[in-house]
Amino acid sequence: MKRNPITLINGLLLLLIFGLMLFLFQVRSTEVAVVTTFGRFSRSITQPDFYFRMPWPIQKVYKFDNRIQAFEKKFEQTTTSDALNLLVSVYVGWRIADPKLFLDTLNGDVTKAEQTLDPLVRNVKNGVISRYAFSDLVSTNAAALKFDKIEEEMLSMIRSQARDNYGIQIDLLAINQLGLPESITTAVFNRMKAERQRRISEFRSQGEMQASIIKATAESETNRLMTLAQAEATKILGEAEREAARFYTVFAENPELYIFLKSLKALETSTKEKTTLILDPQSAPFHLLSSPAADRPQTGLTR
Amino acid sequence: MSEQPKGPGSPQGQPHSHEHDHPDHDHHHDHGHDHSHHDHAKAAPGNGAPVPATATGVDDAGTQALSEALSSSFKIVRFLLAGLVVLFVLSGMFTVEPNELAVKLRFGRPVGVGAEQQLLKPGWHWAFPYPIEEVVKIPVGQSHALTTTNGWYAVTPEEEARNERPAAKWSLAPGVDGYTLTGDGNIIHVRTHLKYRISDPLTYAFRFAQASNVLAHAVNNAMFHASARFSAEAALYHEKARFQEAVVGKLRDSISTLSLGISIETVDVQTSAPLEVLPKFEEVLTAQQEGDAKIRDAEGYARSALNRAGGDAAVIRNAGLNASNQLVQTVSAEAKYFSDQLPYYRSNPDLFRQRWLLEARTQVFTNAQEKHFLPVRGDGRTRELRLLLSREPQKPVAKEQP
Repeated sequence: MKRNPITLINGLLLLLIFGLMLFLFQVRSTEVAVVTTFGRFSRSITQPDFYFRMPWPIQKVYKFDNRIQAFEKKFEQTTTSDALNLLVSVYVGWRIADPKLFLDTLNGDVTKAEQTLDPLVRNVKNGVISRYAFSDLVSTNAAALKFDKIEEEMLSMIRSQARDNYGIQIDLLAINQLGLPESITTAVFNRMKAERQRRISEFRSQGEMQASIIKATAESETNRLMTLAQAEATKILGEAEREAARFYTVFAENPELYIFLKSLKALETSTKEKTTLILDPQSAPFHLLSSPAADRPQTGLTR
Repeated sequence: MSEQPKGPGSPQGQPHSHEHDHPDHDHHHDHGHDHSHHDHAKAAPGNGAPVPATATGVDDAGTQALSEALSSSFKIVRFLLAGLVVLFVLSGMFTVEPNELAVKLRFGRPVGVGAEQQLLKPGWHWAFPYPIEEVVKIPVGQSHALTTTNGWYAVTPEEEARNERPAAKWSLAPGVDGYTLTGDGNIIHVRTHLKYRISDPLTYAFRFAQASNVLAHAVNNAMFHASARFSAEAALYHEKARFQEAVVGKLRDSISTLSLGISIETVDVQTSAPLEVLPKFEEVLTAQQEGDAKIRDAEGYARSALNRAGGDAAVIRNAGLNASNQLVQTVSAEAKYFSDQLPYYRSNPDLFRQRWLLEARTQVFTNAQEKHFLPVRGDGRTRELRLLLSREPQKPVAKEQP
């Protein structure tokens, strides 16, 4: 029988592949692994690479996802230091830090790990929140708020427990929901309603009050301006009177004539509009119509 | 195959029993022989007869058939071997779609140095099949959307589509009705619509088992964190923009701290007063607007009153100024006139007076609209005069038509 080199190469290649698959295994950069020999721990692998192993049943390889897993703790009731019932939910980001311990204590099961973390998180959450008042969690005064501090405390408390007991590294822990028991929400709504009602009255009365103040101030300012203008005008007139008084010395030379002239002026001015004259025919110059010879007419002006 | 394989059989000299006839004697004996090559001529001494042709032919045909069967079996095996090798090589071919990137892991580690080399662009690529190399595809090209519900009231998709709010309830069930607590201990609803892209695919895919879940938790955390420091009214109305900034700021910090490998495209923080007290909140706004309107009206009134007063004051001042000027001018003119007339008056006061008196009378008579003469009665007594004040004006009478 003549040997075919291609067949031989193919055969060897397949043999090599099967051999590789049987004796080697790969650990990805997202994985950690534990190798056991006849069921007993041999070594932990935390670095990605190709590794040698004896085929099953001599050695067995357990691989675990080493990426951060998010786990959310249920929305549960807890109590603050000022005895207020509060509902808090936190989420935890965890990964496997010690594959051997993880395999030994939790059988390498992610679901079991989260079931184990659940009471741990609950205890830590209740323990930390019980030391803080409700106003430390919610407050309009940013300086008084301890939201971040509470989260940090929870994280540092759970970290050592999870690592030492289960080989789990807790990378993050944060509050992702805050609430109140259902019965308390009703009381909050009633309070909110009453507050709004008070605010409604406040806004209305404040608006009216401010409007009144603005109007009164404006009126006061208006009066001040008018009075000021009036005073200024009077002052100007006074100055004018003082100026005019300089001419009175001229009139004083013959007051009788001055009064006569002013009276005539007044008569002319006052009879300019809507004047009805009832005349005696004997009044000058109409007396000339009845007795042209008369030289002493009667004045009979009536207004 | 040129070489004929030996058929299966007993080894040479192995004893076995069988019967056969010889032409000159009849016997029954045991002896060892090879089944594949049984030479009867040698078995019968002195017999030089040839081996029957039929027996040899049957043997040759069987051997030939077996040889051919084996040959074709080997061909199939060879073909399968070649096929397996080809399949093994072809299994390394893979496609990266336009909206994704891929990372090739060789012995578990990304191939290449730096993101530029490690991330494979869309197109055809080849990798050694597992267990040497492995391909991880990451959907990066598309924009991802995320909407949180921890802080929002329970609403059905149908109600959402119709833009309707569910009926108000006077209590909120934990885990069913979402809401946040504000800094003044009130309840509000907050919802965040987030659009993001994967900016660091390696971190996104290799650091977190479910990065999108962690992001959703981070968004919720940012919402509750921001709500805890704002009053309900500030978050809902007066400082809505600042509240949104607080949510986004906290979220950006978390994304950076966690190294999620994503970049935010848009964030929309939606807020709503609880449905139970929403009418009251709206009433507060109305009252506030009414109050503001009153203040604005008063300010408007004040401005116009002050403007008017300023104008009036200017008028008064000018009037004073005019009056003063007029007074001085008039008195000055009168004084001059008086000084001019005084010498004439002194020369003949009576004539002067009469002339002026008549001039004045003429002016008065000219000015008067109505003039009535009361002639003396026949008996010489004065006539009785009655005045009717506030008379109705006389209406024009229409001319009679002929």
